[in-house]
Amino acid sequence: MNGVNRLNGFARTRAARDILIAVVVVFGVGSIAMLLAHVSPAVGFGALFDGAFGTRAEVAETLVQTTNLLFPALGIAVAFRAGLFNIGAEGQLILGGFAAGWLGAQFPLPGYLAIPLVLLAGALAGGVWGAIPGFLRARFGANEVIATLMLNVVAVLLATYLVTGPLAQAGGGAQETASLPKPAQLPDLIADSRLTWAFVIALAVAGALRWLLHKTVFGYELRAAGEAPEAAKRAGIDLGRTAFVAMALSGALAGLGGATIVTGVLHRFNTGLSPGYGFIAIAVALVGNLDPLWIVVASLAFGMLQSGGIAMQAEAGVPREVVSLVTGLVIIALAGRRYVAARRST
Amino acid sequence: MRRRFGAVQAVAGVDLELLPGEIHALVGENGAGKSTLAAIAYGAVRPDEGTVQAEGPVGLVHQHFKLIERLRVWENVLLNREPRRGLTIDVPAARERVRKLGEAYGLAVDPDAVVETLPVGIKQRVELLRELDREPTVLLLDEPTAALAPGEIAAFFGTVRGLAARGTAVLVVTHKLAEVIAYADRVTVMRAGQIVARHAVAQTDAGAIAREMVGGDVPALTARGTTAPAPLLAARNLSAGSGTGALVDAGFTVGAGEIVGVAGVEGNGQSALADALAGVLPFAGELSFAGEPLRPDDAPAARLRRGIRVIPQDRRNEALVLDWSVRDNVVLGRQRTLAPSEYGPAARSVIERFDVRPPDPDAAVGALSGGNQQKVVVGRALAGEPKLVVAYQPTRGIDIGAAALVQSRLIEARNAGVGVLLISFELDEIFALADRVLVIAQGRFVGEFARDAIDRGRIGALMVGQA
Amino acid sequence: MSPLAAGVLAVLGLTLVKATPLIYAALGGVLSERAGVVNIGLEGILIAGAFTAVAVSGATGSPFLGALAGVVAGALLAALLAYAATKLAVDQIVAGTGLNIAALAAAAYGLVLVFHQPGASHEVPALGKSGETWLIVLAFVAAAVLHFVLTRTPWGLRVRACGEDPSAAESAGIDALRTRFTAVVIGGAIAALGGVYLSLAELDLYSDGMTAGRGFIALAAVIFGRWTPLGATGAALFFGFFAALQYSLQRAGVPSELMQALPYLAALVALAGLAGRARAPAADGVPYVRQ
Repeated sequence: MNGVNRLNGFARTRAARDILIAVVVVFGVGSIAMLLAHVSPAVGFGALFDGAFGTRAEVAETLVQTTNLLFPALGIAVAFRAGLFNIGAEGQLILGGFAAGWLGAQFPLPGYLAIPLVLLAGALAGGVWGAIPGFLRARFGANEVIATLMLNVVAVLLATYLVTGPLAQAGGGAQETASLPKPAQLPDLIADSRLTWAFVIALAVAGALRWLLHKTVFGYELRAAGEAPEAAKRAGIDLGRTAFVAMALSGALAGLGGATIVTGVLHRFNTGLSPGYGFIAIAVALVGNLDPLWIVVASLAFGMLQSGGIAMQAEAGVPREVVSLVTGLVIIALAGRRYVAARRST
Repeated sequence: MRRRFGAVQAVAGVDLELLPGEIHALVGENGAGKSTLAAIAYGAVRPDEGTVQAEGPVGLVHQHFKLIERLRVWENVLLNREPRRGLTIDVPAARERVRKLGEAYGLAVDPDAVVETLPVGIKQRVELLRELDREPTVLLLDEPTAALAPGEIAAFFGTVRGLAARGTAVLVVTHKLAEVIAYADRVTVMRAGQIVARHAVAQTDAGAIAREMVGGDVPALTARGTTAPAPLLAARNLSAGSGTGALVDAGFTVGAGEIVGVAGVEGNGQSALADALAGVLPFAGELSFAGEPLRPDDAPAARLRRGIRVIPQDRRNEALVLDWSVRDNVVLGRQRTLAPSEYGPAARSVIERFDVRPPDPDAAVGALSGGNQQKVVVGRALAGEPKLVVAYQPTRGIDIGAAALVQSRLIEARNAGVGVLLISFELDEIFALADRVLVIAQGRFVGEFARDAIDRGRIGALMVGQA
Repeated sequence: MSPLAAGVLAVLGLTLVKATPLIYAALGGVLSERAGVVNIGLEGILIAGAFTAVAVSGATGSPFLGALAGVVAGALLAALLAYAATKLAVDQIVAGTGLNIAALAAAAYGLVLVFHQPGASHEVPALGKSGETWLIVLAFVAAAVLHFVLTRTPWGLRVRACGEDPSAAESAGIDALRTRFTAVVIGGAIAALGGVYLSLAELDLYSDGMTAGRGFIALAAVIFGRWTPLGATGAALFFGFFAALQYSLQRAGVPSELMQALPYLAALVALAGLAGRARAPAADGVPYVRQ
C-alpha cells in the first residue's frame, strides 16, 4: 500500500518530468538534425520506429540493444548512488568483453561451466578496471571523474595491444579473438535472432540490484555515503571502503555487460564491440533516475533508438550519429539534479 | 529616516523604524523572522509586499561571515570596489586604504593576511571593515557576538557605540538578552514573523523580554538528580588536529552520571576535541574509556561500538541525510546492530520521547524544522544505551521550546548514569547544565570550575587567554 | 650533431607540438574552474573547434576564417555548458559529459552533411608551418596573459571570488552567475584554439576521434598545475613530453598502444600523487543558486 503510493508519487513528480524532458529533447533535436540532412522528421522517425519494432527480428534486435545498455547503466547507477561519477563504464565494458572472449576462446571449458566462467571473467576484468579509480579515490582522494575518463582511453589501447600482441589468437594482427566454442555461447531466447538469455540475466541483475540497494545494510550504507558523506562517516560508515566497493561493483556490472555481448551477440571479442554503450548508458541511468527498475524502462527506450538508428540510416539516409547527438543532449537536459552530494572529504 | 517592511511568510506586516545614532536591538527566537527582516532591510531578500527606505547605503555584517577564506584581507574588504591604475588593481593603494580604515575605527588588521589564517575575532573585524568602507548610514549586525568572548563583546560594542555616535543607525539582531540590556538603546521583539513588543531598553528587563519572545513562560528544565559520578572517560596530553583549531595537551575526565561543560569561544579547539572523540580525527596522547584505552586511529564505527555517541555541531551536513525519512535517519549509526524490523519501533520511540513533529516516521527529515531535526539527532544519540554522549552545540539555532526539551533529555541521561561532555559556545547553556565547567582557549584547557564555584567573569577572562 | 642530441632535440620539438593543444585546453579549464565551473566538456570543445575550423576553411578556402569559426564554435558550446551550469544550476560533471557525447556525434554527423563521407573530412586549406609556429607561441602568450588577468586585474579578482565563494562575492555586489558565465565562455574560446591547432595546424583535416581524450588530459593538467595558468602550462608540457616520447620509443620497438597510453598513465599517476595536496577553488563544481 505504502510502496504503491510512493511509486505513484514518484512517477508523478521527478521521474515523469525527466522522461518528458528526454522525449522533448529526442524529438525536438532529432527533428532539427533530420531537417539539416534534408529528411522529413516524419520519414526519419518513421524509419526509426519501423526499424525498431517493425518485425519480430527487429523487436529482438531492440531487446539486444536494451540488454547491452542495461548492464553498464546499472553499473553507473551503483556508482552514482554511492556519490561517485563513474564515467568509465565504456572501458570497463571493453575489458570485460576482452577477458570473456579471450578466456572462452583460449580454453575448452566444460559445458555447464563455460558460460558462468566466461561471464565471471568479464565481471572480474571490468571490476578490476572500476576498482582502480575506486582505489585511487579511497587511498589518495584522486578525482574519479578524470581517472575514469582516462582509463577509458587506456582500456581501448590495452585491449588492442593484448588482442593483437601477447594474447593474440586470430592471425594477421586482427583486432579480435578467435571465436568462442558452442558451449561458451549464450543460448538464444528467440530463435534466429541475436537475442539471448543475456536479456533475462540483465533483468534479474536489475532486480537483484534494487534489492541490494534498498533492502540490505550494504545498500543502506552505500546510499548514505552518496547522499550525505559527512553524516555517513560519523555514523561509522567507511567512506573509502564504500567508494572502492561501489566502483568495483560498478565496473563489474559494465564488464559483465561486455561479456554478454561477447558470448551472446558476437561470439568473439572485437575491439569495436561497443558503439559507446558505456556513454549512452549514462543517459539511460539518468533517465531511469538511478533506480534499477526505471533504468530497465529507460534502457528499452534507448535500445529502441540504437536499433532503430541503423534502419533510419539505411532507409531514410539520416546518419545514425543523430542518436548519439540526442543522447548527449538528453544528458545535459537531465543534469539538473543534484546527483552527488558535496565533495566528500575522503 | 523611515523604514517599512511588508509581508513574507517569515515576516508579516512588520513596521520598524531606525533612527540615526541609536543602537536598536531586534530580538526573537530562532525562526521568529528577525534574520529575514534584516535581509530584507539590506536588500538581499525582496519583500512580497511593502517597502524599505534608507538614507544612504546599508551595511550588513552576517552571522556566518561572508568572507572569502583564501583571499587576502584587502581583497575581501575592497572586493568590487578596488582602486585601479589603468587596467590593473592598484595594490599599494588598496593596502593603504584598508590600513587607514582600520586605524580610523580601531580595528587594526594586516591587509595582506590571508583570511583563513586569522582567528575568528579578527575575521569579524575584516567583515566589519568591509561594510565600513562603504560608509553606511545604516548598519545591520546579525548575531555579531556569536563568536566572541565576553571581553571581546564589550570592546566590539565600544566600536559600535562609536559608529552610532557618528550618526550611524545600528540594528543588532541577537538572541543574547544580556547584551541588549547592556548596550542597546531600544529593543524590538519578534515572534512568529510579527512584532510583539517595542521598548526603550531603560524601561524593561531581560526576564520580560524573554517572556515576550516565547509568548509565555520559558519552559523549565528537568530537575537534576543526585548522582555519584564514577570514572568513565579520562584524557591525558590529548592533542588532535592542526593549525588554529587544534587541540593541545588536554587533560580532563568525564564521569558516568555527570555533565562536563567545555566553555570557550568558537574556533579554539572544540571541533578537534569532538572529532577526536568521534573517531573522525586521529589523536595523540592518551584516552581511556571505561578502563580501557581508545586507539588513536579508531574509525567512528569502533567508538560507536564502545558506546560513545557524538552529536555533531552541523546537523544538516554531519548528522542527517536530509532526503531520507525520519526512520532511516534514526537508524543511522546503528544500521549494523538493528534488524530491519526494529527500524520502525526505534523511530517511533524517538518521535514519542522527543515530541518530533510531525510524528511521522516516513516524513523526510529535510522537511522538518531545525528544532525537530535536532530532536531526531539527539534522540538517536541517546537511544540504545550510550555510555558517553558528546554534545557539541546541541541547541544551536533551534527554538527555545526544542532547546529546553533537548537540554532536559541530556539532564535525564545524566541522571540515569550517562556521561555527558557538553561543548558549547553559549555560556548560559553550560551554566544551566554542567556539573563541572572546563575552559578551553587556543586549544588548551585553561581552567576548571565546580558547579557551585562558577565565576562568570573569571571564565570569560580565561576564554580569551587572560590568565 | 650527434644522433643523441638530434634525438633529444626532436623529442623536445615534438613536445611543444604535442603540448600546445593541451595548453589551450588546460588554460580554458583553469579559467572556468577558477570561476567555479568544472568543465568536463573540454574534450567536446576541442572537437567543436577542430571540426568547425575544417568545415569553414573548406567552405571559404580561408584557414584564418576557419580558425576564427572554430574559436566561435568552442565559445558557443561553452556557452551552452555555462548556461546549464549557471542559470539552470545543473550538475556540471553530468552536463559536461553530455556535452562531450553530443559534440562527438555532432561532428560525425557534420562530416556526412558537409563532406558527404563518414570518418574523416577531405583535406582543406590549413594554416601551414608558420601558422603552427604562431599558434605554439600564442599558447604561451595566452598562459602569461591569463596569469596576469587572474592575479592583477579587478575582473580576475572577481573570477577568483566567484570560484571560492559566489555567495560572498554577490554580497559584495558581484553578479556571480554572469561572472561564471563569461569565464566559461572565454575559457571555451581559448580551449577551442587547441582543436583548431589539431585540425588546421598539425594536420589539414578533421577525423573522428582525432582529439583522442586530450580534453581529459587537460583536466588532469589543471589539477596538476594547481589551478594556475602557469602551472597548468607546465603540466601540459609534462604530459606533452610523454606524448612526444611515444614516437621515439615506438621506433625503438615498444608496442605502439602501450606508448600511446603513456600520457594518460602519467596523468593518472600525477592525479593520484597530487590529490589531497592540491586544493581546488573552494566552490569549484558547486552550482550557485541565489537565495
